[in-house]
Amino acid sequence: MKLSPYLAFAKKSFLSRSAYRFDHFMGILNTLLRIFIFWGIYLALYNGKSEVDGVTMTMVTTNFILSMGLSTVFCVNDFYLPSRIQNGSIANEMLLPVSIHGRMLADNLGNALFQLVFHFIPAVVISVLVIGIHAPASVAMFALFLLSAIFGYGVLWTISFALQMLAFWLINVWSIMTIKNVFINVLSGSMIPLWFMPDWMKGVLMFTPFSSIYFTPVQIYLGQLSVPEILKGFGIQLIWILVFVFLGKVLWKQGQKKLVVQGG
Amino acid sequence: MSFIEVNEVSKSFRISKRSAGIPGMLANLVVPKLEHKVAVKDISFSIEEGEMVGFIGPNGAGKSTTIKMLSGILYPDKGSIKVNNFTPYKQRKDYVGSIGVVFGQKSQLQWDLPVIDSFELLKAIYRIPEERYQKNLHRFMDMLDMAGFINQPVRQLSLGQRMRADIVAALLHSPKIVFFDEPTIGVDVVGKETIRNFICELNEKDKVTMIFTTHDMQDIEKTCKRLVIIDKGSKVYDGSLSGIRNTYGTTRQLDVEFTTDCTVAPIDKVEIRELDAPGGRKKRFLFENREVQIDSLMSTLLTTYHIRDLTVSEPEIEGLIRKIYNGEVS
Repeated sequence: MKLSPYLAFAKKSFLSRSAYRFDHFMGILNTLLRIFIFWGIYLALYNGKSEVDGVTMTMVTTNFILSMGLSTVFCVNDFYLPSRIQNGSIANEMLLPVSIHGRMLADNLGNALFQLVFHFIPAVVISVLVIGIHAPASVAMFALFLLSAIFGYGVLWTISFALQMLAFWLINVWSIMTIKNVFINVLSGSMIPLWFMPDWMKGVLMFTPFSSIYFTPVQIYLGQLSVPEILKGFGIQLIWILVFVFLGKVLWKQGQKKLVVQGG
Repeated sequence: MSFIEVNEVSKSFRISKRSAGIPGMLANLVVPKLEHKVAVKDISFSIEEGEMVGFIGPNGAGKSTTIKMLSGILYPDKGSIKVNNFTPYKQRKDYVGSIGVVFGQKSQLQWDLPVIDSFELLKAIYRIPEERYQKNLHRFMDMLDMAGFINQPVRQLSLGQRMRADIVAALLHSPKIVFFDEPTIGVDVVGKETIRNFICELNEKDKVTMIFTTHDMQDIEKTCKRLVIIDKGSKVYDGSLSGIRNTYGTTRQLDVEFTTDCTVAPIDKVEIRELDAPGGRKKRFLFENREVQIDSLMSTLLTTYHIRDLTVSEPEIEGLIRKIYNGEVS
């Protein structure tokens, strides 16, 4: 598989992002607002205590700065395929001699790169300056955090990838995507760190795809996981990626036979 | 084995049917009504390399569905398709690099970007070598007179300009086969003529195999030697344009203007219609060309009556096609 067409797609989506500057600044403001609101809530909850259930305030702020920061980079267009199936432009898409899945990914990655440079970095730098953050446990842990964040993105992307295929049957998948996003917001630990969950629930959640998106990288960053636990975390991430890729590919194959090109 | 081989291909869609208004919506929510619509039924044909074939048929006849199956977008339910040794729907990614498709109703250009940017993107997608890209681009731009709007965003183009840009976009990678799905829809007379000439030249000089669908009979008359007519998902005619006249258009019409009002005595196997008032000066004679010799009919009339003017006409292709669509001929 030659890369040049996919680089062109990524470049195009990177460039098209710079077209709407006002929207972009509002996006950064939005991320900062979310981070500061959560900061306010947890300040009130902690009420001057230095730790609750063995979890320090710095750990909590580090968790939401990192996971909300990462969520700005983790670009997934849930409606790439559904919108094209709905308006019929899937036909044009299929006429190009490239993998459509590769194109979806390239499009999102171009966007993600833009977000990383122009959204994540400014938002995180401002948050760190104002609120403060835990330093990474070590250089090695920081490197492993980055790797695990990439896998986390992989999990998030492949969930969306598999669900988008349902559009072949349902055409409109808006509600399915909304439900998925609620699950991710609540169960991934980005709003409520999983430390505060009851132990049995935490035990279950650690095996779901949701916790492996943001919470696994954050735990590695904080140095909370031993080396075997880190390997287990990577294993869980990779297994989910494989499961969703497989599901997506099977649904894609079946869906193509069902495809109806809308509008003539 | 022909270049394009379509063998007993069928395709049907499930479409949901619901009655109008809120009651219909609620009923559909509980028990969805689905209906199978057969788009294409047991169609077979083969096309040789370098041929140019026109596909016509009324709206909803299955033309676009056939094109979409040929271009690897849709799976046939039954039957097989081979194009240039590929099975389009199974080898889509490898296959589509060798074809070009123009959907008159769906642009493949980037809406917000200048035309040339879309072309550059296609160059990367198809990995067109720089030299070939420049050569094709300049040649097509000259032929379609596009220099004036190549740097304008697509959303600001007129329909005719956009169509020309879309045609070039489909051809930059020098495809061996091109499918046109209504390439002249909504284009003015001059624009249509430019597009037709372009299509003809490409077929003649570059030996590109072409299939195109249209509702404009002039498109077909000016470009295609072979015609396939599809109606209600089935092939009803496959042959030359002139063959249609021989098969369906056997009626001839002779319009005569006499110098004075008169009545004409009945002639065997000829239908006489009055174009003016009965007994007037203008009359029309209709007959089958294999039953009545036109020269003997004319000499009969010329020797018996005084004639000012007379015209013989063959039926127009458009009229014949209309008859085929309406099921008036079989």
